[in-house]
Amino acid sequence: MTIPLLPLNDMANRHVGLTRALAESYLEAARVSLARHHEPPQEFILRNGSTEQAALVVWEPPDNRCRGAWANKDDATRDGAYACAIAATELSLGLSTVRRAETLTGADYYVAPINQIPEDLEDCFRLEVSGTNLNEYEVQRRLRIKVKQAHEGKSNLPALAVVVGFRVKLVAMQAIEESL
Amino acid sequence: MSWIMHHSRSEEYASQAEAALRNGDRERAVELYRMAAEEEALALSALDPKKTRTLSVTAVSAASLWFKAGEFRQVERIACQWLATDDLLDFAISQLQTILQTAWNEQLFRQSGIEFVKGEVLVSVGGGEIVTGAAPLELVHRKINEVRSIFHRTIEMLLNRPFRKRGLPNADVQEQFRTWLLQAAPGSYQFAVRVQKPAQMSLFPDITPEIEEVTQKFLEIVGAASRETHEELENVVPDPEYRRGFLRITRNLAPTGKTFNRLEIRSATDLEARPIVFLPESRQDINKTLREERKATEESTRLKEEQITGILRALHLDKDWIEVHPDDGEKSIRILQTGDVIDDIVGPMVNQRVIVDVAVRPDGAHLYRDIQSEE
Repeated sequence: MTIPLLPLNDMANRHVGLTRALAESYLEAARVSLARHHEPPQEFILRNGSTEQAALVVWEPPDNRCRGAWANKDDATRDGAYACAIAATELSLGLSTVRRAETLTGADYYVAPINQIPEDLEDCFRLEVSGTNLNEYEVQRRLRIKVKQAHEGKSNLPALAVVVGFRVKLVAMQAIEESL
Repeated sequence: MSWIMHHSRSEEYASQAEAALRNGDRERAVELYRMAAEEEALALSALDPKKTRTLSVTAVSAASLWFKAGEFRQVERIACQWLATDDLLDFAISQLQTILQTAWNEQLFRQSGIEFVKGEVLVSVGGGEIVTGAAPLELVHRKINEVRSIFHRTIEMLLNRPFRKRGLPNADVQEQFRTWLLQAAPGSYQFAVRVQKPAQMSLFPDITPEIEEVTQKFLEIVGAASRETHEELENVVPDPEYRRGFLRITRNLAPTGKTFNRLEIRSATDLEARPIVFLPESRQDINKTLREERKATEESTRLKEEQITGILRALHLDKDWIEVHPDDGEKSIRILQTGDVIDDIVGPMVNQRVIVDVAVRPDGAHLYRDIQSEE
């Protein structure tokens, strides 16, 4: 069986919530973060609860200029995680990024089933993304914390928590809804 | 026009503003954020109030965009207008309050001409004797000093200064990177800390970009030190002396459970960032790491190990001793070989309750191993 490709390229064509410039910027950050640990191509696991799916991640290795532009490791990890998380939810859950809304320090993205452009945000899932260069324990720990915080605090739900583990080649995701 | 049309325009402008910021064109970014905010405000007014989630997200988005455009009066206007209604969901009320408080602070600083580096740290203590909005003065005073000390150490590390064991930070660090205490939104008991941007940036040409990241670095270090394993701390703080120093200072931040039982540190500006939590167990974890490190480097492990709890009565670090009056004794005990003690950790402990790990020589002399505040 052929392993599907993680759709990292041309994301602005499929995700109306992303502009071309932003999608390219996230892709660059992903290339730098991936190249920090691996040579392309690599097989990643997309884990959603007890369901797992393999995906082939192919990227163009970054040149020195690109590495220099993303020298801040935290920025590269955060923005690279956005690219991988958006691509993983597209492949694994059939969701596309439809809207963006600002927060004090950044922006939240909202996802909905592919080919549906909702007229508002009432039923969209807010994407909550985190990236790490640490081990699998850290990926799962971050996911647990995100889910716990969402239930404890005053959270904007429903949301989809996605944690991208660049080193361990794992994307873990979980839906968080009010009724849980 | 409908919400979706205005909101789409706002998204487009906001994305362009983000791209302009990445390219270093701050002026254009501010202009684009202002255009995005205007569209978002129109989107908000075109929305059916029954769509509470969309309304809540859009209100936060509009206030955030005005904030990013530096239009603090507009932030006030839109936040207060919507906070006064019953239409918002809880998350939006909380986020709008934070945006409003941040805008007020920024407005005041702008008027006074003070500039800060990026980010703000929020420290809150809870449990035990702490009540909402109030805490024992000596505890708060100690925590403020410990936080300031970690900031100074972070700056010194970024400046590639050798690890300081004696005295206060150099005058240039103290004068150029002043830490400020800010009023925080009401909570268990909390305060906010920011670092003022050096007035003479030219004094630090080698680390100009890093200066803006001091607060982020502070959060990374404290976060890594709070973990059970310290693999991450080794990445964040490669220098072993700095690493040990940070572990010792952060250990004192953690509660013992007597006066309070929880300390949280988080970014006040990054609402999505998870808080760094210190519980009494955190102190034990750090103790374990420090003990293991000590055992690995000391030859004198054959000596009997003891722990003395009491009041730190005196110290003379240049002569290599401290004196502790133990709870269960009449006379103070002089503890020798304090070479490892760090001034700004032990200084604030004088006349306070401390726990000192010692090794006892066959002739009865107590040799210093470690010290921590009891609370």
